[in-house]
Amino acid sequence: MKVRSVVISSLVVQIKQTYARNMYKFCLLVSPLMSTILLAEMYRNSEHDNFTSYIVLGAGLMSLWGCICFSSAGDINRERYSNTLSLIFISPSSFQAILFGKVIGNTILSLFSVLLTAVYSFVLYRQPIVIENMPMFLVSFLITIISFMVFSIFVAYILVLSRRTEILMNCIDVPLILVCGFVFPIEVLPMWTQYISKAFPMTWSIKLMRQSIMSPSVDGDFFISMTYAIGTIIVYALLSNLLYKLIAKRVRIEASLEMA
Amino acid sequence: MSIIEVRDLYRDYVTKKGVVFPKKEVIHAVSGITFDVKEGEIFGLLGQNGAGKSTTIKILITMLAPTSGECRVLGYNTYGEEKKIRHRINFIFGGELGVYRRLSARDNLRYFANLYKLPMGDRDKRIDELLELVGLSDKADLRTETYSKGMIQKVQIARGLINNPEILFMDEPTVGLDPLAAQTLRNIIRLLKEQGKTILLTTHNMYEVDELCDRVAIINKGKIVTLDTPNNIKAQMEENEEIQKHLEQVKLKEAENLSRITLEEAYIQLVRSSVDKEAKNES
Repeated sequence: MKVRSVVISSLVVQIKQTYARNMYKFCLLVSPLMSTILLAEMYRNSEHDNFTSYIVLGAGLMSLWGCICFSSAGDINRERYSNTLSLIFISPSSFQAILFGKVIGNTILSLFSVLLTAVYSFVLYRQPIVIENMPMFLVSFLITIISFMVFSIFVAYILVLSRRTEILMNCIDVPLILVCGFVFPIEVLPMWTQYISKAFPMTWSIKLMRQSIMSPSVDGDFFISMTYAIGTIIVYALLSNLLYKLIAKRVRIEASLEMA
Repeated sequence: MSIIEVRDLYRDYVTKKGVVFPKKEVIHAVSGITFDVKEGEIFGLLGQNGAGKSTTIKILITMLAPTSGECRVLGYNTYGEEKKIRHRINFIFGGELGVYRRLSARDNLRYFANLYKLPMGDRDKRIDELLELVGLSDKADLRTETYSKGMIQKVQIARGLINNPEILFMDEPTVGLDPLAAQTLRNIIRLLKEQGKTILLTTHNMYEVDELCDRVAIINKGKIVTLDTPNNIKAQMEENEEIQKHLEQVKLKEAENLSRITLEEAYIQLVRSSVDKEAKNES
């Protein structure tokens, strides 16, 4: 009951704090428009003609990742600069519950950017948004949201430990879009990067979404992707738990909760 | 009974300088201090900037790990048994940080009330009481980014009292407060002492220490120079020749100013009477 109250109140504070920032409003409202136009122009003369799969979904995921990733990262740093990171860290509530609430808050807000992408795509390009297997698409979308959240929590813990949050975020922002196949299938990448791709839960969940958009039936490949997606989500959740145990001690030894 | 025990405490900070071949630099913030704080006592840590006061407080509130030595609060080790301590203590840091600036004072307090697991039924009543105590009731629903430094400090004070802590740690709590607000805080500290709370505070303000503290430890370069009651410390130093000379000069000056009130007293009277006038006019 009390954990739920901590998660909900952290979620509410996160949404209130985040939405009050003009830069976030830009990420939420303008960035999806830019991603949609950019991807539509990129794919205009390509052989791939699945509008929903590569333009709507690609732009939506780019915006979702941008909002979740930069908001989670930026927030840790903002909390550090305003000295509230140390306050929440040493409160009697579990820091894991607090961070979970914050990530859910970010995700709820960021989902709006996915919806906007679909609206922008339809209004600008007048192309129908076709989803061949709606029930499986919804399941895949849920798995994708969970994979983003689990990965965000994992990254956020690293950011609590390090003061160099902006560098880290800029290093992973675009590479992750490319490596996880947000805007094109990972099969077009060299083999060695495909191995890296497969280590991220988003790669598998995005593959699932694409399969459900393009194919009305569910085959064995779909369930293999789903197994990998759920498996990597569990691995990241366990890694995050281990990482938390490590950082709970390290941040107090290295005094990284506050700015030096 | 000792409620805070610090034994042979050391804390170093390790920093790295340089990019290609970074060099480690070790700063000894606290170098082997030992002291106890009794239940219901107001204990002061005095010292210059960088003396190790804030580091000591941060270790006691479980924010930092000691490099060596041991700190026990309410009988529990601050590094390893922090979960048994955190809900029973709280802290107030000076300065204008430590609040969510895009939230109102009320929302800030509501959030920390949840983090400190206050029962829902008591939460809003407690927040109203604290806002009243620090004098922010009428501005409680404005975003704190519109607040002055002193008002933010008041939010910090209210946040520090949200869980009705058994021990309150205060790190230069009057920094940024105007004399009137500083006096209000001193009154709050006295009130807390009457309620049997234990308070450990650091300050540069000698008047504050003299007025409030039961005992004081003076820290210099991470080591305790002396630990006693303010009166005993003063008595120890009265025989010092240099201090005697200085005292004579001070006494001469004081004799000149004997009939005058201090600027602080004048300021407080003026502000109070203007507030009273406004209140009368409004009624």
